[in-house]
Amino acid sequence: MQLEAQPSAFPNAEFEQLMARYQQADPGAVAVLVERLSPQLYRFFASQLGNRADAEDMLQDTWMRIHRVRHTYRAGDPVLPWVYMIARRVRVDNYRKRIRISSRETSVDVLPEVSTRNDETSSLPSFEELVAVLPESQREVVTMLKVDGLSLEEIARVTSSTTGAVKQKAHRAYERLRKILERATKGPERTPPPQSASKGVAQ
Amino acid sequence: MRSQTMTCREIDGVIGSHSGDSTLSREAAEHVAECESCRRLVKALDTGHTSLEPSESRLRQIQAAIKEDLRPVRPLASSGVFLLAFMLISLAVVAIGSLLLGVNGWNALSTIQRMTIFAALTASVFLLAISVVRQMAPGGKPSISPRLLPIGILAGLILATAVIFQVRHETAFVPDGLACLRTGMTYSIPAALLFWVLLSRGAVLYPKLTGAAAGGFAGLIGVSVLEVGCPNLDLYHILVWHLGVILLCAIGGLSLGAAVGHFRRRSIRGHSRF
Repeated sequence: MQLEAQPSAFPNAEFEQLMARYQQADPGAVAVLVERLSPQLYRFFASQLGNRADAEDMLQDTWMRIHRVRHTYRAGDPVLPWVYMIARRVRVDNYRKRIRISSRETSVDVLPEVSTRNDETSSLPSFEELVAVLPESQREVVTMLKVDGLSLEEIARVTSSTTGAVKQKAHRAYERLRKILERATKGPERTPPPQSASKGVAQ
Repeated sequence: MRSQTMTCREIDGVIGSHSGDSTLSREAAEHVAECESCRRLVKALDTGHTSLEPSESRLRQIQAAIKEDLRPVRPLASSGVFLLAFMLISLAVVAIGSLLLGVNGWNALSTIQRMTIFAALTASVFLLAISVVRQMAPGGKPSISPRLLPIGILAGLILATAVIFQVRHETAFVPDGLACLRTGMTYSIPAALLFWVLLSRGAVLYPKLTGAAAGGFAGLIGVSVLEVGCPNLDLYHILVWHLGVILLCAIGGLSLGAAVGHFRRRSIRGHSRF
């Protein structure tokens, strides 16, 4: 049995060194940082959006912003909360942009469908489908924990909240997911719609 | 469910705590083996997201764009340096205001009023300075909510004012008040501009929020100047025309922040096109 909270392959100290070299305009550090952090960031966007093209655009936008404010990283501070706070801001902006666009278009909300195949594994909804039913703040915490491998302390920094509050949100999310999974494995039902009208983004 | 080893709630803690070790401990594994609900949850959370990867071409584009504009940068000074700078600006503006306007307000206040109002103002200035400095660098240690702090400060000042000042007979409520409002704004606006110069060194991710906090901060400086200089101790005068400076400045900062955020988003979109 595995718990695949994909931790970043790099320890924090190495990220810190890379950031220091990036600030000194070392192209090698840029290449390594982009290669190492982009998959995590991409999953952060894609797991919550479900739209991979948008996720790539947001990844690019995030790197442009990181580049513009790279001087605000202070040596000794953890790198991931710094990066994810910027990524979170990009997601908020993107969400608002999508709201503006969708208000001009006919919106077709597709509820996450749960597969009805027989064996237990295949009857489980995918991670994206699963977290789609959670309220935004819980979805964000679960994604950062399980997909991006951030620690509770790091998530608390990213969300400007406390470790206890993050832990509580994760617990509530898991409780909710347990109920949904129980219903999903019992029969061919649709998972309940998200609380918010669409995938909202908490600021 | 309660197994001999762990509860479902404890399993939540195991799922949630990232240790870098992706294998479950023996106790957790035993519980998951027994508990269908936890087994389903662990499986579902491990499904599907591992294959998500950005395209290689997009990564090359990002690297190329960054390298094209790569030059050394000086890291942001420590929070302590910025905190000191904010406090020095505040002190300097209040000192200049007191020199130019005189200290009639200070002399008119009783000892209790003086202690209460200036203690409240000093604490508010200090808390807002910390909040604004923390907003300059992303991912810092969590502090008091930057959304709630300005509201809390304004509420605290209203309460303190209501407790220590009384209603007095006022003959020229509006003309006197407008003069005070103008004076307060005269000192708040230069303070706000100096704060903006400092803030522009940082990465303000939420310009509206930071703008409102910095505006409120500048408004507090204006109020401090008024409390030192204005001898009118009428409760309504202070509530409306002195504390109104904070509200006006916070609204001004919020509007400026919204405008900055808008232009910044447009400029980033422009730069993002490779």
